[in-house]
Amino acid sequence: MLNTATYISASSFLGAALAIGFGAIGAAVGEGYAAGLANQALSFRPEKSGDVLKNMLVGQAIAESAAIFALVVAILLLFSTPQPKTVLIAWAAIGAGLSMGLSAIGSGVGAGLPAGSACVGIVRQPQNANKVLTTMLIGSAVCQTPAIFGMVIAFLLLFLDFSNMPVYPGWAALLGAGLATGLAAGGPGVGNGLTSREAVTGVARNPEAGTETNRVMLIGLSVGQSTAIYGFLISLLLVFTGLEKSTSLSDSFRLLGAGLSSGFGGIGPGVGLGVVAAYACKWVARRPEATGILTRTMLVGMAVTESTSIYALIVALLLVIVF
Amino acid sequence: MEEISHIPQITLNLLGFNLVFNIETIVMTWIVMGILITFGFLATRKIAFVPNPFQVVGELLVSSFYDLTKDALGEDMVKKYFPLICSLFMFLLLSDWLGIIPMLSEPTKDLNTPLSLGIMGFCIAHYSGIKVKGIKQYVKGYCEPIIFMAPLNLIGELAKVISISFRLFGNIMGGAIIILVVSHLVYSLILPPLLVFFFGLFVGTIQAFVFTMLTLVYISLQVK
Repeated sequence: MLNTATYISASSFLGAALAIGFGAIGAAVGEGYAAGLANQALSFRPEKSGDVLKNMLVGQAIAESAAIFALVVAILLLFSTPQPKTVLIAWAAIGAGLSMGLSAIGSGVGAGLPAGSACVGIVRQPQNANKVLTTMLIGSAVCQTPAIFGMVIAFLLLFLDFSNMPVYPGWAALLGAGLATGLAAGGPGVGNGLTSREAVTGVARNPEAGTETNRVMLIGLSVGQSTAIYGFLISLLLVFTGLEKSTSLSDSFRLLGAGLSSGFGGIGPGVGLGVVAAYACKWVARRPEATGILTRTMLVGMAVTESTSIYALIVALLLVIVF
Repeated sequence: MEEISHIPQITLNLLGFNLVFNIETIVMTWIVMGILITFGFLATRKIAFVPNPFQVVGELLVSSFYDLTKDALGEDMVKKYFPLICSLFMFLLLSDWLGIIPMLSEPTKDLNTPLSLGIMGFCIAHYSGIKVKGIKQYVKGYCEPIIFMAPLNLIGELAKVISISFRLFGNIMGGAIIILVVSHLVYSLILPPLLVFFFGLFVGTIQAFVFTMLTLVYISLQVK
């Protein structure tokens, strides 16, 4: 006999599995990259093993935090016993798992990239290890932002009260909210990683340009997250828009489609924006006197790169609000 | 864990309109403003060659943001925009740090604060763009590279407001939620102070700086 309580506990288990299953992918890849480059660095200068190991572990710890967010969400899904007021809680659990798990992939990979290049950079310029470490810490911490967006949506789905939401098409809104942020966060996570990797390499090569490189890196990273933010916006709209009860399938798929549109639409531009900012950081580190023109070119290039994600955002907004 | 979805608000009915006020955000914003005004008073009260501690911090902030603004906007416009940029950063920094004090919460955790600051930056950037370039050049800027791109350019400009404000909101709100949830899970032992350090101080500082820098960059894209 399947009743609401059974549905909810079954989907909580599914959500927990999705959260930690997807969430474990990215961090592991990123940490492996960091450890691999630490080996490479030590083969150049074995006497610096203490510094490199410390740096590798700090970088890996930050990369791991994406997986730890996923673990927290998975544990909450496993051990919280919500009131079985509405079957929507079951869909919210799956949405929370997808949102957290998928969004942790990109951030995990991304945060590992600067950690790896910092290991090599420290070996190259041991006297400037602190500057390299600072850039790496800022870069990998900002890489976590897409995963944090995924986590916010997961917690909203877990703790909001959905008893006033109609089951149809509410299920599609909650699933779509999870997919929008989860998918859209994948691209910017990786893109941010590429940007901070080049910035760390650049600072290690030319520590005098550290201030300029850090500033361009921060601007590049934050503009690079725009696509994850569009996904986040669509998720918030899907969760908080008042829905009218409708058993028609087209209404459900309208909301699911909005989530998928902004979710998939964010992946490619997210990586592309990261590549733009990566090259800007690389060349600012070599020619800090050209920071002004490089930053402006980067921003103009990013605005054009971003346009495809804005198409996806427009379609998603049309689906949520107009139709 | 009902705190996550709980918003303390009052609704006033004024001339037929329902005005909703978030009490917590208003009180916290006033606390931040009070601290900033006190700081400004202490830093400038007795300006001396051998400065007092407040003057040192004030001079550090002012000189570094003066240089940042000069790099982005050039020598002729720095005097006009630098007070805005510096005070925006100080306000956001204190707002993000306020959450580390027990019983207080970040005003930036409420979407209304970042969104209104983002709209303010948007208006200032576009007003300065029209003033510096003239309305003709300003409108022409939207029709590049071809005129059919105008609607897209317009939406791209509006998307900047969304991304700048949701970035701050999402980060600060995410940090606050994870501190709340983890504290709940481990009964507030050992872990929460570390999380407060990372999310409150570190991420808060970075996000305050990012918001300020992006406002500055958006102004500089308009006026140049």
